[in-house]
Amino acid sequence: MSDSTFWNEDWMKTQQKYWENWSEMSRKAMGLEKPAKSPLESAMEHWWQGVAPGTTDFNQDFMNKMMAQSKSFFRMAESYYQNAGESQSWLDAANRTINDLQQMFSGSLENLFSGAENAGDDALHKMMAFWEMPFDNWQRMVSSLSLVPGDLLRNMPHNDGMERFLSAPGLGYMREEEGQYKQLMQRAVTYQRALTEYMRFFSNLGMLSANRLREKVQQLVDDGKQIDSARGLYDLWVSSSEEVYGEQVMTPEYAQIHGKLVNALMAMKQKLSHLVDESLGGLNMPTRRELRTLQDRLQESRREYKALKAEMALLKEQMLELRKPVPEKSKSSQASTAAKKPAKKKVSKKKVATKGGKS
Amino acid sequence: MQPFNLRPDQLAEEMLDYSRKLGKGCQNLMNAEKIDTGVTPKVEVYAEDKLRLYRYEAPADVVQNSVPTLIVYALVNRPYMTDLQENRSTVANLLAAGQDVYLIDWGYPDEADRSLTMDDYINGYMDRCVDVIRKRHKLKKINILGICQGGSFSLCYTSLHPDKVENLITMVTPVDFKTPDNMLSAWAQDIDIDMMIDTIGNVPGELLNWTFLSLKPFSLTGQKYLSMVDVLEDEDKLKNFLRMEKWIFDSPDQAGETFRQFIKDFYQNNGFLNGDVQIGGRTIDLKNITCPVLNIYAEQDHLVPPDASRALRDLTGTKDYTELSFPGGHIGIYVSGKAQKQVPPAIGKWLDERT
Repeated sequence: MSDSTFWNEDWMKTQQKYWENWSEMSRKAMGLEKPAKSPLESAMEHWWQGVAPGTTDFNQDFMNKMMAQSKSFFRMAESYYQNAGESQSWLDAANRTINDLQQMFSGSLENLFSGAENAGDDALHKMMAFWEMPFDNWQRMVSSLSLVPGDLLRNMPHNDGMERFLSAPGLGYMREEEGQYKQLMQRAVTYQRALTEYMRFFSNLGMLSANRLREKVQQLVDDGKQIDSARGLYDLWVSSSEEVYGEQVMTPEYAQIHGKLVNALMAMKQKLSHLVDESLGGLNMPTRRELRTLQDRLQESRREYKALKAEMALLKEQMLELRKPVPEKSKSSQASTAAKKPAKKKVSKKKVATKGGKS
Repeated sequence: MQPFNLRPDQLAEEMLDYSRKLGKGCQNLMNAEKIDTGVTPKVEVYAEDKLRLYRYEAPADVVQNSVPTLIVYALVNRPYMTDLQENRSTVANLLAAGQDVYLIDWGYPDEADRSLTMDDYINGYMDRCVDVIRKRHKLKKINILGICQGGSFSLCYTSLHPDKVENLITMVTPVDFKTPDNMLSAWAQDIDIDMMIDTIGNVPGELLNWTFLSLKPFSLTGQKYLSMVDVLEDEDKLKNFLRMEKWIFDSPDQAGETFRQFIKDFYQNNGFLNGDVQIGGRTIDLKNITCPVLNIYAEQDHLVPPDASRALRDLTGTKDYTELSFPGGHIGIYVSGKAQKQVPPAIGKWLDERT
């Protein structure tokens, strides 16, 4: 691997390109023209596309996550760099950078909710990977739970007209089936609405985080401290976001939004499973419902079987205990005790007899 | 003073340095061999369905406590977290502290295990493992060390079978599920858990991963990967990171019926405090726990806040209750260097004083 031309040449070329980009940016920041949009990000993407096919799935997933973060990091550094070049004071540069961060987030969401063509996925994917995390994690999870990719449900129309159409009663011979499909669509619309509400919640969070970052920067000034690396700025940004996020998601409002989202997804999936079962039943195939009934019955039988097995083992042990020959010493001591204390033996027998009678 | 001291040349240098590390790191990443976990030698002593009971091999030169300790891990994630690597192994350090260690590996439940209930896990699997160990050692009672959800299971078990438990240790165990700082609990309140389980059967590991990552999304799914660039160059550190990464995403599905009961009875109804949890037709009363109890919690635990664990203090019937706090997080308590030096030796000492 280490001898490949990629590592010896391609990587160095990328590095060279990288330096060129920085030089170009410096020139433009000092001068007049606006620098190109995210040249570092493009260089990195280009490089990663070349490398990715040679990696294992696990490493690729891991590297994808790292690349996404690296891109956010670079974009942020570039944003600051441009603003510093164009601004007269640090305050102006800092404010511009924070505004950029905020716009990159809320601007994308505005596009997403405006219903513009190619909104949704495109907007979100172009949005900073950093802010995409909560949705991205959700989409991955949804994809793992359903037949369709999580993204597919993101852009479903969910206006009033659609709902009115879906609530209209079915007619004719197929009315029942039509009703079932309409219910599925209604649940999909409810899910879409819950997802929108969930994303709006995060849009608000982006603005709050930007304000928190501003406060933290001011705190640095008050404390006479400085950030001397892009990484330091990034970490401050992360801690601002995490703080605000932590406060907001502990509110009853979020608990409701979160609950609605999960419940809406489950309701939709439940209806879908029901319809799949109906179709399978129509084809005379085993259904999920039947399988679950069998699983429940089987588990109940296994429970009983295991309990009986344990009982048998216990009885077996007790029997073996009873069958054990009484040691000679103990026999003789019992005999001598009996000989010495005949009166007590009688009492004991009575007790045993009484106990036996009760049981 | 300006808050930013970021000169263009300095920024460029930082970015270049980052790229350099990334390039070298990718090379290491692609050369990285298979990630090994669970390093201490062990033997399987009992198997039932997907469950495996292991006994760890103790160092020859250490005198062992005559009462063995059974580690009961959570159903969430895999138990090799307790034995992640040679220098980060709670198990190895318990062995070094003279304890005879057993561990339950619950396995990966599939759809056929959907109907397993908490009764099946606690009065079934767990009880049979305890019996196997008691029989092997000819003892009436053994020690139990429950971790996280496994700690909650151990509390239920000890309440139901007090005659089989000599000493109980709970680690990062939720007891009061409704402390104000419990984010997981806040989120669970509005979930229609019946509809969820009726719909999906088992709860997929992905759903749990999403939930846990959502607790701190920016640090756990973002910042972490940026910080990784600093350790990518070091093969050993990279392997350590990958081991942890593997563990985080190695999430077994959860048997649906058990998940249903656990969320409803504990997260939604705070069952230990309300005292109304029924398992196998019997009520869980923590006052039945009269054996010595050692309750260990992590001070910066974002999954099980300290107050959620500390609530145990007033709930059991024991006269011998000890608390041990650790200055770290939920995971750090098993794997950090500091934890390795502090926690297992403290457990060993506490057990030795009582057996």
